[in-house]
Amino acid sequence: MIRPKIEIRQISKSYATDRGAVLALRGVDLGVADGEFVAIVGPSGCGKSTLLYVVGGFLPADGQVLVDGNAVKGPGTERGVVFQEYALFPWLTVKANIAYGLERQGVPATQREQITKRLIGVIGLNDFENHYPRELSGGMKQRVAIARTLACEPAILLLDEPFGALDAQTRETMQDELLRLWLASRKTVLMVTHDVTEAVYLSNRICVMSARPGQIVEEFKIELDRGKSREEIFLSDAFNHLRNQVWLSVRKQVLAAEGKNAR
Amino acid sequence: MTPREGSEPSRKAGLRWRSVASVLLLLAIWEAAARAHIAPPILLPAFSVVAVALARVIADGTLPADLVLSLYRAFVGLDLAGASGILIGMLMARNRAVRWLMDPLVALGFPSPKIAFLPVFVLWFGIESLSKILLVAFACVLPIIIGTFNAARAVNRVLLWSAFSLGTTHQALLVRVVLPACYPRIFATLRIALPVALITTFTAEMVAGGGGMGATLVYSQRFFESPTVFAYILVMLGIGLVLDAGVRAFQHRYLAWAEG
Amino acid sequence: MHAEQLTRALIRIAPLVLIVVLWETATLGGLVNTAFLPSPVMVFVALADLLNGGEISKNLFITLFRAGMGLALGAISGVWLGLMMARSTKFRAWVAPIVGGTYSLPKSALIPLFALWFGIGNITAICAVYLACLLPMIVNTFQGVISTPKVLVWSAQTLGTGERQMLTKIYLRHALPDILTGLRIALGFSFVLAISSEMIASTSGIGKLVFLYGENGAYDYMFASIACVVIIAFMCDRAMVALSDWYLRWHESAEKGDAA
Repeated sequence: MIRPKIEIRQISKSYATDRGAVLALRGVDLGVADGEFVAIVGPSGCGKSTLLYVVGGFLPADGQVLVDGNAVKGPGTERGVVFQEYALFPWLTVKANIAYGLERQGVPATQREQITKRLIGVIGLNDFENHYPRELSGGMKQRVAIARTLACEPAILLLDEPFGALDAQTRETMQDELLRLWLASRKTVLMVTHDVTEAVYLSNRICVMSARPGQIVEEFKIELDRGKSREEIFLSDAFNHLRNQVWLSVRKQVLAAEGKNAR
Repeated sequence: MTPREGSEPSRKAGLRWRSVASVLLLLAIWEAAARAHIAPPILLPAFSVVAVALARVIADGTLPADLVLSLYRAFVGLDLAGASGILIGMLMARNRAVRWLMDPLVALGFPSPKIAFLPVFVLWFGIESLSKILLVAFACVLPIIIGTFNAARAVNRVLLWSAFSLGTTHQALLVRVVLPACYPRIFATLRIALPVALITTFTAEMVAGGGGMGATLVYSQRFFESPTVFAYILVMLGIGLVLDAGVRAFQHRYLAWAEG
Repeated sequence: MHAEQLTRALIRIAPLVLIVVLWETATLGGLVNTAFLPSPVMVFVALADLLNGGEISKNLFITLFRAGMGLALGAISGVWLGLMMARSTKFRAWVAPIVGGTYSLPKSALIPLFALWFGIGNITAICAVYLACLLPMIVNTFQGVISTPKVLVWSAQTLGTGERQMLTKIYLRHALPDILTGLRIALGFSFVLAISSEMIASTSGIGKLVFLYGENGAYDYMFASIACVVIIAFMCDRAMVALSDWYLRWHESAEKGDAA
């Protein structure tokens, strides 16, 4: 049996708040195979982002996260992260942002220039390389954020609701671009999203999380012919059937959460 | 209000026209009132008389010497405050022990009128420049510490996390990410501290003498040389305007990347 | 609950206690020349004496009166001016350049001028305080009023709010957080300018007292008076903050994150 790329074992995490400790995650187990695209969906506040942050090494937790068999002790360049808020360095230009990770790693200048230029071309922002983040639209910022992460060639991509801050049309464009990138590079992707349609469209496995304290309660394998166009996929019965199933599953969790609160 | 940054050229030009017009109007009223002897000339010398006095103090070197001395004191004091303030503010954001130590000092010091400490500084450092420079530093350092501390704490964690994921070490984080992220807010604090530095310098000179704009201003008042009093006040006003314009230009040039 | 609050307060004050202890130890150990820095005990004795003799309370009252008058007058005119500037573009067009211009003038520079006009006494001090408090009140009121969201105004209109009521119930109400911030700033200024005036051109007040003690070499009394000033200013600031917090408990932006 091939070892999974990411192994999440019995992850539990609690926060201290004014009203005492809050358990965000309870005993989460998840394995992500190399080259898999896994989406985590669930009701708001279920802890899916928290789980991602733990895998990213930003938050400590009880349990273990192993990457290639090694325990995660903190953030690392092999796990690239893209946040919903873009998190671009506002004092650096587009070019400098993308080159940032390469600089940190001591990549020589000519090579940096090469890689950066290529990536800027890939995301289609050649005319904007000397612009500052504040001059860019949301979609453009997110493209830069993705390019910045890709520059370090991480084997794993962690995406935290990457398109949540974008308008519907930009979101669709970005989803297609992400899909294209993934199909070309086959990186291991772990994505958190609240948009069930997006999860079904992009991923090949969906994990549904319960409301807080979060646990993975259901999994769906997604097998769609991604060679087809968005129109064909969206209008196909297979896609809609899957989407309805996943939606229903999440809905069940949302209702369970409300029922809990109502009591 | 100062014109909104980045307004269209026509609006800016309109505002500038209005400013000039307002000023000219005021000057005209002043001159007319003085000539009409609304008040005795000793209380309200005509603008023309003040202009002559101004020309005189420039020509005989009094004003340039005073100006240089006062500005020197203000800027050295501000630099001291800036360097130490930013350092302390950053340390406070990073280290709980430093924060605990500084917290009551900052809380007590911030609302207190620093000028009340002038006699202490004069006692310790004499009436020449040193006491004034240190008083200015004391007056400016607290808002800078507070501004830096708040800026450092407000740095969005996703910025820090991204930096870590891209290979930034803990040591490098401060210089590479925290500090640049704080520049706009620190700069805003420095911009507010500049007039404080000037005020403190002038006031200290007015109270304790030892040369500079404030000292000459007070001597002129004591000897009822009102044209000189007015002239010096106008120069102080002018300096304030010039420096503020300079600061805005600097901000435009170097901090264009900041939001808003 | 109260025990917890008490311990927290004690922890916050602890660094000050530490400093006082270190100071006293240094004095006792001969490290500090009491001619330049009286020991805490000496200062405390002087303070007790001052409080007993009524010297301090008399002068403190004078200073607070001057600062308070100037602040009150400045606040009322400032709010009115800020409101007018926000509501009438014409008014703003003519007044704004003047307001913007005086921002750059250190108000304490006007003290000798006022001394020339009004002599040494209350009027000079109150005028100086008034002018210094005016600006932050105008600016903050303006900012608060001008940022009133249109949807708020429109909702009020559809609910039948008259023109007069609009000003008080909607615009000023919306501007209240900013006005209170401005008031806190103005409070600080009022102290600075009152004391500056006293040091430069007065025969009474706590500023003058500090200055006189310094001139006559009664350093323990000087430090004691300064300590009084610091404590009073701190308490007034805290009172202002408590007032703002209490008054604004309904407002979203009521946060307690800042260090000061």
